[in-house]
Amino acid sequence: MNAARKPLLIAALLGALLYCLPFALGPYWQQLGLRALQWLTLAIAWNLLAGYCGQVSLGTGAFVGLGAYACALSGNQLDAPIPVQLALAGLVAAGFAALASVALFRLRGLYFTVGTLALAEALRILMVNLRTFGGASGVVLRAATPAFHQLYWLALAIAALAVLLAELLLRSPLSLSLRAVRDDEDVALQMGVRSFRVKFGVFVLAAFLMGLAGGLQALKLGVIEPYGAYGMSWTIDTVAVVIIGGLGTRMGPLLGTLIYVALSEALRNLPELHGAVAGVFLLLAIRFAPRGLWSLVARRPAHG
Amino acid sequence: MVEAAIALRVRALSRRFGGVAAIEALDLDVQAGETLGVIGPNGAGKSTLINLISGGCAADSGSIVLFGTDITGLRADARTRLGVGRTYQIPRPFARLTVYENLELAARHARRGVAPASAAPVQETIAERCRRILTRTGLDDVAGTTAGSLPLLRRKRLELARALALQPRLLLLDEIGAGLIERETRALIELIIDLQREIGTIVLIEHVMDVINACCQRTAVLASGRLLTVGATREVLADAQVAAVYLGTGERVPAGAGAPAPPSAPPSAPPAVLLSVRGAEVHYGGVRALRQVSLELRAGECVALLGANGAGKTTLARAISGAVPLAAGTIEFDGARISGLAAARVTALGIGHCMEGRKIFSSLSVEENLLLAVPPAAQRKAAERLQRAYAMFPALRQRRAHAGTAMSGGQQQMLAIARALMSEPRLVIFDEVSLGLAPIAVESLYESLARIRASGVAMLIVEQNIHRGLQLADRAYVLAHGEIRLSGTPQEIRDSRELRALYVGEDAATGATAPAG
Repeated sequence: MNAARKPLLIAALLGALLYCLPFALGPYWQQLGLRALQWLTLAIAWNLLAGYCGQVSLGTGAFVGLGAYACALSGNQLDAPIPVQLALAGLVAAGFAALASVALFRLRGLYFTVGTLALAEALRILMVNLRTFGGASGVVLRAATPAFHQLYWLALAIAALAVLLAELLLRSPLSLSLRAVRDDEDVALQMGVRSFRVKFGVFVLAAFLMGLAGGLQALKLGVIEPYGAYGMSWTIDTVAVVIIGGLGTRMGPLLGTLIYVALSEALRNLPELHGAVAGVFLLLAIRFAPRGLWSLVARRPAHG
Repeated sequence: MVEAAIALRVRALSRRFGGVAAIEALDLDVQAGETLGVIGPNGAGKSTLINLISGGCAADSGSIVLFGTDITGLRADARTRLGVGRTYQIPRPFARLTVYENLELAARHARRGVAPASAAPVQETIAERCRRILTRTGLDDVAGTTAGSLPLLRRKRLELARALALQPRLLLLDEIGAGLIERETRALIELIIDLQREIGTIVLIEHVMDVINACCQRTAVLASGRLLTVGATREVLADAQVAAVYLGTGERVPAGAGAPAPPSAPPSAPPAVLLSVRGAEVHYGGVRALRQVSLELRAGECVALLGANGAGKTTLARAISGAVPLAAGTIEFDGARISGLAAARVTALGIGHCMEGRKIFSSLSVEENLLLAVPPAAQRKAAERLQRAYAMFPALRQRRAHAGTAMSGGQQQMLAIARALMSEPRLVIFDEVSLGLAPIAVESLYESLARIRASGVAMLIVEQNIHRGLQLADRAYVLAHGEIRLSGTPQEIRDSRELRALYVGEDAATGATAPAG
């Protein structure tokens, strides 16, 4: 079973290398790495949901925002240590996803997508108007912002967890059920797949990971407000990363993240152009590599 | 217990779609251990019945009892776990999963605790079961292929394989025999008889009477959502009423209104060559689907393209209409080269294509489907052409506002034919127009084809059914393994000894057959 161990070895080496990055490189690179790992986590989560299970959600912002608020408030109110703050960030997002799924999964296809978008917007507006959580001006974290290298290691741990959970899921028999629901939910049901449970599980898992990424964002900024935490840009960036990299492929999120980070760095001094260029890039990717750039690398049709 | 003898008890079952009763007050018993045939005209409600039994759609009223358990209110997945397995008439594979994965998914959700050994589905047993079923259904060679890339008939095979992987107690088969040649039909019959022994109970919807005759102890006839009759297959098929609504008068192609059906002796100056294919080659990936194919068709001529499944008939048809590119060779239409042109240009030059599988736009009405096919240059004549289409197929006029796919199979096929004529082509390609139709619908379809021929339009007919094809055609070509093996007049082809070997498969050719057992 050497063939099965090889990717594991590569992943371990890569992880060790990434772990050592702060010792070699300065805060600029640490911050860049932090951002890349956040995108990677979001991309992996969204790829499971949309790429493998066919549930195209535009609600990423909602779960990132919930995670950020849960993290900030648990730190301020409960003096919770950072690991607990992050765990709560993930759990609150996952819990909200579990509640929302009862309503959302009555919708299918495009209607589901619009439903998630509406949910994210509604949540943002609620947060703007809710005095308890600081309203439009948001929440300031009382604890000092951790050092960049500490944040970076937290991000690395979260991304590693995302990779691990995604791999476990995609290597299990559940992977087939996921992809069957994506290809034809009615037939999946006819083949005995409990499609609601499958969708529910993936939705909650993805929300958990997105909540973790949001919690990290709160720690990083030290202050959160609804427009940023629940912003559309989380949703759009995640979609762009996965589609450029390769929707429904294992390596797509990683490749997309690398390209997206490189792109945003190249345009660092032209922030007004960033959105436009990223958009053109996305269009080119869809036109010339509709199955993502990973499909060009992998040559043979992507798995699933 | 008396109940034990009844596998499925359906009582007062009704289901309406938008005011139209698809199934109405249906009572039906399926005995354990029997294969029950279900026949009836297209649109009689046969597929709806399977949908109702399998849980694909919910009943408006009535009850369904499976081996003593009332399953009327259960979802599809729960019914599957209780032992219902089904196929879809229009195959619905998980397109981006491989063929093997399609089976594996079903096997993992199969009915639990069935036979002695299969208590806990270990990886090994599931893999073995999938392999066994793949071998049995002749899908071995495509196990690793994504299901979406399979051709139609292999998708139908996959439907059967996937249903078997569910290890059902009641197997519902929806037209898995359509489009097979004799040799394949024989193999399918053996397979179904074997399956009956293993699985126990089968409900079989089929238009191929040989299959019904050979496999079904009893047969039920549906018409307009109601049970017309049910009884021993032999008696049912001999019933005069059944013949009237379903079987028709047999395989006879009446000459269209006053048209000379048998081709009159070729006139001294034959009409000009309309279509000429020379040395055509088509490759799919590394596979050569067509090799050095040459073919000629004259103005007003009707040419049949015959051959077994996978011979390359549909590929040739699609190459002519510009849907697949040629790797070598040329195609000329009316003296001008058309190979390399986009499909829309080819249509504009006067070639209509009535595609395999109908390809009706489901979100458009019947009339919109027809109007869509009128080229922009001829928009002013659209109304006139529409009237002509309705004159040829009055049933379409009645349903002009219905969704194209809300009609019965036969009517959809009429729509597909009418649509191919809307561009007023000089040549129409008909690809497997009779696939999946009731005998009586096939008959009326061929009457329409005869009328179209009489109007002077040249036709290329791709047919599985050799007798139908040869009755209508002036000349025929027989394809095998991507090459033209035979050509000539219908009489020459019929008399050919090679034909039997090629087509009926008495040379034990390696085809896509299902080895039984």
